[in-house]
Amino acid sequence: MSRTLPRLAGLITIAGLVFAACSGNAPASSSPGGSEAPASAPATAAAGEPVTLTYWYWAESDAPGADKWMAETVAEYQKAHPNITINVVPQSTDTLISAFQTAAASKSGPDIASQWATGPVLSFVWSDAVTPISDLVPADEMKHWLNTNENTYAGKVWAMSMYLIGIGLGYNKDLFAQAGVTPPSGDRWTWDEFLAACQKLKAAGITPLVGGDKNGYLGAWWFANLGVQALDSTEDLRKAVIGEASFTDPKYAAWMVELEKLVKAGYFNDDVMSLDLDQGVRKLSQGKGAMAFGTDGMIKQWMTDLGADKVGVMRPPKWGTGQLADAGNATQSISFFVTKWSQHPKEAADFLQFMHTPERLAAWYKATGVVAADDRFDQSLVTDPPLQAMLKFETTGPQVWLENWIPPQIDGDADIPAGQMIFSGSGSAADAAQLWERVAQTWRSAHPDELANWQNWKQ
Amino acid sequence: MITSSATSMTVRRRRLDPAPYLLVAPAVVMILIVFAYPVVRIVIDSFLSPTAQRGVSIGFANYVSVISDPVFWQAARNNVFLLLGVPVLTVLALLLAVILFDRIRGWRIYRTLVFTPYILAVPVIGTTFVYLYGYNGIVNTLLRGIGAGGAAQDWLGSPTLVTPAILSVIIYREVGFGVMLFLARMASIREELYEAAMLDGAGWWARLRHITIPQLRTVIGFFVVIELITMLSWVFAYVYSMTGGGPGFASSVLELYIWKNAFAYRAIGIASAVAVLLLVATSALIVVQLLVRGDERDTGEE
Amino acid sequence: MSDVKTDSTALAGRRSARPGPRPFVRRLVSPPAIFKQALMLSMAIAAVYPVYYMVVTSLKTRAGWTADQFGLPLAPTLDNYLAVLRDGRIPIWFFNSLTITAASVIVATAVATLAAFAIARLRFRGRIVLLRLMIALMVIPPAVLILPLFLGLQPLGLVNTYQGVVLIYSGLLVPISVYMLTSFFRTLPGELFEAARIDGASLWQILVRIVLPLSAPGFVTLVVVNALWVWNELLIALVFLQDDQKRTLMAGLTLFKGHYSINEPLVMAGTFLSVLPMLLLFLFGQRFFVRGLVAGAVK
Repeated sequence: MSRTLPRLAGLITIAGLVFAACSGNAPASSSPGGSEAPASAPATAAAGEPVTLTYWYWAESDAPGADKWMAETVAEYQKAHPNITINVVPQSTDTLISAFQTAAASKSGPDIASQWATGPVLSFVWSDAVTPISDLVPADEMKHWLNTNENTYAGKVWAMSMYLIGIGLGYNKDLFAQAGVTPPSGDRWTWDEFLAACQKLKAAGITPLVGGDKNGYLGAWWFANLGVQALDSTEDLRKAVIGEASFTDPKYAAWMVELEKLVKAGYFNDDVMSLDLDQGVRKLSQGKGAMAFGTDGMIKQWMTDLGADKVGVMRPPKWGTGQLADAGNATQSISFFVTKWSQHPKEAADFLQFMHTPERLAAWYKATGVVAADDRFDQSLVTDPPLQAMLKFETTGPQVWLENWIPPQIDGDADIPAGQMIFSGSGSAADAAQLWERVAQTWRSAHPDELANWQNWKQ
Repeated sequence: MITSSATSMTVRRRRLDPAPYLLVAPAVVMILIVFAYPVVRIVIDSFLSPTAQRGVSIGFANYVSVISDPVFWQAARNNVFLLLGVPVLTVLALLLAVILFDRIRGWRIYRTLVFTPYILAVPVIGTTFVYLYGYNGIVNTLLRGIGAGGAAQDWLGSPTLVTPAILSVIIYREVGFGVMLFLARMASIREELYEAAMLDGAGWWARLRHITIPQLRTVIGFFVVIELITMLSWVFAYVYSMTGGGPGFASSVLELYIWKNAFAYRAIGIASAVAVLLLVATSALIVVQLLVRGDERDTGEE
Repeated sequence: MSDVKTDSTALAGRRSARPGPRPFVRRLVSPPAIFKQALMLSMAIAAVYPVYYMVVTSLKTRAGWTADQFGLPLAPTLDNYLAVLRDGRIPIWFFNSLTITAASVIVATAVATLAAFAIARLRFRGRIVLLRLMIALMVIPPAVLILPLFLGLQPLGLVNTYQGVVLIYSGLLVPISVYMLTSFFRTLPGELFEAARIDGASLWQILVRIVLPLSAPGFVTLVVVNALWVWNELLIALVFLQDDQKRTLMAGLTLFKGHYSINEPLVMAGTFLSVLPMLLLFLFGQRFFVRGLVAGAVK
């Protein structure tokens, strides 16, 4: 009996093992720090010594045009610093979490990374993946950055803000006129004025509010804009998270009753559960609804689709009596930070600072239409009245985007599903509040170490 | 020559013939590399503290957390529901394969079309069906158009309808695989069997029952097992691209639960515990199934 | 596996290798024609809808799609395709996907063929255990394996390399490939095997001359299915290939999708381009398939 076949099989096995061993020996990765063991003290490169930085960059989704701006920024920086090469790897929303998770677990990967602000950033801070940016950047530079409180912990700022996203209540002026609704004379309506407007619109056969909650973000937006108004500070929320207060208290649950009333009154579009957030937002562009929550970028899109003078924007209606009821809702959305294992933290921080030079800030706005999170940003660049209004909302007074201030699990397992319960009618507001509390309890008992971090985090 | 080699073959068989072991060696090595370390790692991780605090064992606490989580049970229930779709899927694939095998007019085109959904990536199919199944989507628009507006539901937005809706999409795509599989096997059925049966006066149903299906039995068995496993462990992309588990948790599945805990919540211990539970449950099922049926595949094959 | 014993002596030896429709043996197995056509037609319309949606959407402008998601484009445009093709990374990603898919499928199929041949046709200790192990391994969801695999491969320097990714994909494909080929190899009549053995054929000759040709349709199906899986796979590609230059096409296309917003026409254009290679592979593979279907079992 010939032994060709078994011999062949044996050869394949051996070849495979050799192959694997070979590629193991040669560090084939081209990203520095990718396959090296975690370093001891990172050395500052001597002047002129070639340095490569890897930057996992996420921004294009929030701010289309960001990638191009980053390419220019890198080119300019490299011209001024010929020994430094910056390798920008654009991230998608899908990659962002999973890729960095594995990087953090293996303590290897990029020098600069991106993450959602506050909760997510801090969770990586607590697993020792982040070098605080305040250790690397002088205070008089950082004082120009906006919203740094979103990433402050233990007296340090851990990540840098680049831009600001706020939410406004956009409206279709023509549809308002049709129903005899007058926009507010000031920034916003009172709650009663808001309800009266909804009623008038509905009577005129117009859908008062349009949106989509299939992916759950709309519910989260209502939490961040209505739920926030019952609180005096983010400390109030933290108390409920760590168990010193219950999410079923009216302080945390009453807003859901109001939302439920809106849904039951039929003020939302009938396919709100079939559409994702952006698809719901699009309905305003199609003239199928009078009002919708939207970011600056969405407002700009409405202006393009309906006509710049047909779109108005106001702050979310005032409902609550907590101190945060007067706060704005702008957030940096995504934060950039230097990783703990980076071999060149000083160079990385230097590049991050470069992104905040006034010339770069202006270029950012021109490329993306999103305002920069820096008080040196030239506000005169914003010319459309609705967007100017948004800018004012976003830079006046305290800003809190409440969704940032809960652990990711409470956001994903309570905030989002609770909103969906209310919008789909599959649960009452009371059920939704109980869901919040149950998930918080589950999180507390399953994550004692994270709970300890939150308990120590006085805001 | 023949006799002596027959003898020597018999002699060699009694001693350990290395040939089969060498043949399976590459496969075994690959499996060891890709599965062994992760599986061991997962089992260990399931006993460690949920977030990345390595080395801090907390015993069975993760398992307790999982078993007391209503979301876990909702996800498990949904997976079981999906399993019930496998018979439907199999029968549909058989039916289509049988029709195609007969080469009705346009069979080549039909066969390509049946397989087309399987060629597309799942997220594409998911996105398309989101538009089909939306409350004002195509399906409902059609229903309203023909006056059956009462039947128009929020297919993906209703907690009771969402999982069946997703199942329909899974079946839609997987049926192409089944059809190709069955056709591939049917290609080797000897035509003499059919000709003889027809001479004996057997009608199409009898031929189907007595020739086609028995001949296909191994492949049908394979398909059923694969699809059962799919419904348990390979539907993440469908759910993620269509509903993300919503509304609420109505369409959550175990894979989504694992993924969320491992990646979004950084609770690796919990994700690992769920994976271990899944593995244990299916292994138990396999053992039970084998004890009950005896494994006929191993007897009298050759 | 001949369950039906018929008096086939008169028919034995007659080849039925006639291409095209066979009037005598039409309706070998299935119900009347109208029912068939109706079913197939409705199935065809349903099956083709996603492709229709993809193409139609990709030809719309963003404004046009916002206004009307379902109908035909009022002013069809190729701008989206141009935008996608002009992105210099697309060909690179495309090539990456091609290489990785080809390598993974070749390795997995070769390895699995050898193993399946042994399990299906040879008797050896541990044969059944091995098969059951394969089946059990398929139950593990890939999402669960990613983190441990990353942690395991990272010290070996296999992260962010083609070799690492091919290794992972091949490894993941082996269980299902072994299982499927075993099923097909088992259906071959044992007499062929015995006759070849008696003629003094080596295992290799048996595999190459007898088993593979007879299993061609099954083999082709496996190759196509495996290629599809690797080509369309996203999670592992996202995590293990972190360089923009090394990304696969599917991973790269996710960059076109926003968090709060989607430029659907652009995404659909990219997606359509990504579907074409697999479609071509399938159509090409069909040839072998058809030959197999037509030739039938060769005695």
